[in-house]
Amino acid sequence: MMFRKKMLVSLFAALAVLTVANITQAAQPAGFDDNEIRIGQWGPQTGPAAPWGSVARGSKLLFDIVNEEGGIHGRKIKYFIRDDMYNPAQTVAVVKELVERQGIFAFVGGVGSAPGMAVKDYLAANKIIWVSPSAADKEFTQPLNPYLFAVYPLYKDEASILAKYIVEKLKTKKIGILYQNDAYGKDGLEGAKERLATYKMSLVAEIPVEPTEKDFASQILRLKNSGAEAVLMYVSPTAAVITLKTAASVGFKPQWVSANTLSDYPLMFKITGGLWEGVITGAFGETPDSKSPLMVKYRDAAKRLTPQERWGTFYYAGILFADPIVEALKKVGRNLSTEALLKALNSIKDYQTIGPRITWTPKQHQGTDSVMIQKCGPGASYIMLQDWTTNDLATWKK
Amino acid sequence: MPFGQLLVEGLAIGACYGLFATAVVIIYKTSEVVNFAQGEMAMFSSFVAFHILAVYQYPFWLAFVIAMLFSILLGVLIEFLFLRPAKHPSLLGMIVITLGAEMFLMGLASWKWGAEQKFFSLPLDPSVTYEPVKGMIVTNWAIAVFAVASTIMLLLYVFFKYTRLGVAMRATQQNKHAAKIMGIRTERVFSIAWGFSSLIGAVAGMFFASRATLDPAFMMEPFLRAFAAAVLGGLMSIPGVIIGGGLMGLIENFFGYYWPSWKPIVAFIVIILVLCLRPSGLFAKHYVKKV
Amino acid sequence: MDYFKVEDLCISFGGLKAVNNVAFNVEKNSIFSIIGPNGSGKTTIFNMISGIYKPDLGRIVFAGENLVGLTPDRIARRGVARTFQNIELFSNATVMDNLLLGRHIHMKTGVFTGAFLWGRGSRAAREEIRNREIVEGIIDFLDLQSVRNHFVASLPYGKRKLVEVGRALAVEPKILLLDEPSAGMNTEEKQDLNIWIKDIQAECDVTILLIEHDMNMIMGISDRIFAINHGEKIMEGLPQEVQSHPEVIKAYLGEER
Repeated sequence: MMFRKKMLVSLFAALAVLTVANITQAAQPAGFDDNEIRIGQWGPQTGPAAPWGSVARGSKLLFDIVNEEGGIHGRKIKYFIRDDMYNPAQTVAVVKELVERQGIFAFVGGVGSAPGMAVKDYLAANKIIWVSPSAADKEFTQPLNPYLFAVYPLYKDEASILAKYIVEKLKTKKIGILYQNDAYGKDGLEGAKERLATYKMSLVAEIPVEPTEKDFASQILRLKNSGAEAVLMYVSPTAAVITLKTAASVGFKPQWVSANTLSDYPLMFKITGGLWEGVITGAFGETPDSKSPLMVKYRDAAKRLTPQERWGTFYYAGILFADPIVEALKKVGRNLSTEALLKALNSIKDYQTIGPRITWTPKQHQGTDSVMIQKCGPGASYIMLQDWTTNDLATWKK
Repeated sequence: MPFGQLLVEGLAIGACYGLFATAVVIIYKTSEVVNFAQGEMAMFSSFVAFHILAVYQYPFWLAFVIAMLFSILLGVLIEFLFLRPAKHPSLLGMIVITLGAEMFLMGLASWKWGAEQKFFSLPLDPSVTYEPVKGMIVTNWAIAVFAVASTIMLLLYVFFKYTRLGVAMRATQQNKHAAKIMGIRTERVFSIAWGFSSLIGAVAGMFFASRATLDPAFMMEPFLRAFAAAVLGGLMSIPGVIIGGGLMGLIENFFGYYWPSWKPIVAFIVIILVLCLRPSGLFAKHYVKKV
Repeated sequence: MDYFKVEDLCISFGGLKAVNNVAFNVEKNSIFSIIGPNGSGKTTIFNMISGIYKPDLGRIVFAGENLVGLTPDRIARRGVARTFQNIELFSNATVMDNLLLGRHIHMKTGVFTGAFLWGRGSRAAREEIRNREIVEGIIDFLDLQSVRNHFVASLPYGKRKLVEVGRALAVEPKILLLDEPSAGMNTEEKQDLNIWIKDIQAECDVTILLIEHDMNMIMGISDRIFAINHGEKIMEGLPQEVQSHPEVIKAYLGEER
């Protein structure tokens, strides 16, 4: 089943890329006029990845706020959400539909590495700006894609920062890692190893798991026998649940530290039956209960405009992914064009809302290397451990 | 190497594979259909138990009983609605039909309960463990798996050996024509086989769900393993698939301890080897059907 | 009223008329034989009677009821049992198990009553005893004592044929269809079979429909004979009449061996 799925997905992705390559620069309606700017986003609203679909709805909240405040230089934002079910072939279809039928000026967000990869070249070929893919894939920005701007901190940077925290703040010498055997997990592994090398230390256990595996007994016993006192997790939510349940049953209680992908504490707390308490994670947004003025403003707006939505990390990630494009559109002024917006985005420097500080230059479109470090407290509460931290080892900055 | 612990964990997960493989084999034995909807039938029944627990707040045993009854009904219905209407289907046709049923159930569950993972737990206190030998921790979960799997095996043995219906099922499997001529209602036999299989699958599904999470796709991987265990055991013999499941769990755990990145495929490599040497599995009785 | 009869029976397979307008009457407790060359439609008639094929046209009437359209298991429940030309046994089971399966329709006990009503006097126990008695009787009668616990797959062809006859008898049928029971048997076995069929007719209160190639056997035991070729009736009559009918000699006896 897992092989079948994988094959299907890559087949669809390949097909999608092929079809897209043939029809570059299709005739398309303009993405804006005197009254509105059309912005689009894809994201899984149904299917197995649907929990991440709230990103697209979070962005909508920001655009609603902007429109309520009168729009940008006389133009309202018209926002389109399309469900791609996390299926790259669907992503291609919905993106083409938006670009060629509706006329889209720019895309924001867009959940998933594979869906993003399937439309990346199509968007660039059609000179459509894409800000803040909701996935940390270095191929989005390396090599430089002039139309694509990334906010999401890279997993490698995050792992490096987390490893430093474990060594220096937790004073733990024995660190193991459990990583998903794909680009996500391997980036985490690489970042952790790079950091530990600076202390002349190495990981006591490096254990891979396949994304769909359901039995981790032998892996957990390996970690337990390695004597690891802290374990980094670069895995999926389901894998994290299996890990914690299995570890609890064999009496293995290290300090668990995980990537920001698992920073939705209420969800993780619920599906682990409370075992998530005490887990430390990276985070690319402020805590949900943060008292910063902007967080308060967004939270109140959410309560008012979308009371049905849970105020979770993925939901307000949608806001912080969309903030920079609103900022750039404001800077451009009334005289809008793709070139003008590119220029404005390329000159964004030390811009921060409720996420990390972002800087884009004409040569570098990876906006940040910063994460926060938080911990899950009793009742899935958020405990702040360390404010925005950059990765001094980040190689892409040099 | 934590030998004892790997043994316990390997056998426990192996018993789960074996139990689920039994569900696959019951259908295969009677109707020679590999039911690709097996995992999703178990998933759906587990969701029903979850729903009763979460929404109606019934005690676990009641939710369990209702979910079990539901699972029987589900199995009978799928056979009746999806397979029976197909007139003289080919083997490929049957497989396509069960794949269709699989997608239908997965879609229905996603629509009803959403794709977000759910917490599902058996009423087994995870903090109580036993350590019969130093370094070998046995959890309530493992004990429950062993107890339930052996009880079901014993009941199945008695059923197939001594009851009229069980004998009729075995007869249908061996020769459908002759069974009909003996007055056996073969269509009813198929219904019952699907009901039984769905029930056993649902029990196994709940064990899997309580170890991981409950979501519409959670049975895909265990189905694959259980199917492999069934092939290893010869697809025809119930004791064979139980041993196949156990072997699968042990190989994975011992091998996976030393070479974690090979864990997901080692069992499949073993199966390919076994099939090369003994094409009908480890425990299949060799008999060639007359053509 | 007629005991067992078929009327205007027709069936075709892909345009080929396998059986065309066949009709006959069978008297109670008689032996009625059907003869004809290979491929003349004899087994097809049996398959229609036992419900495996559904005729395109016509009726099969047994004890006043039309059997056409009933499923094979329903027809079996009305007392029609049969053997097959190519043997359809449960080959992975013992001789005893095969015969006991013949008792299926006489077992009333379900899983639950069987599981909860134990003890010698219970219905389940009485039923079980009666079933075993009948099966033991058949084993004695067909001289299967020496192979009773052997797996069917391990038996020689002739014995398997006999087991199939035994299993059909275990059903306690009112109509027994025997499809070439002597095929593959040696002379001695054939002689035994001859005697057994007569005994069955005499003792078991059963009407037998027989398909056979062995003319000596046919002539010896049949009450009436129906000759068929290319799916159509040639003639029907007493053994002597059939034997001397020129068309039968031409179509069947003439070209045979």
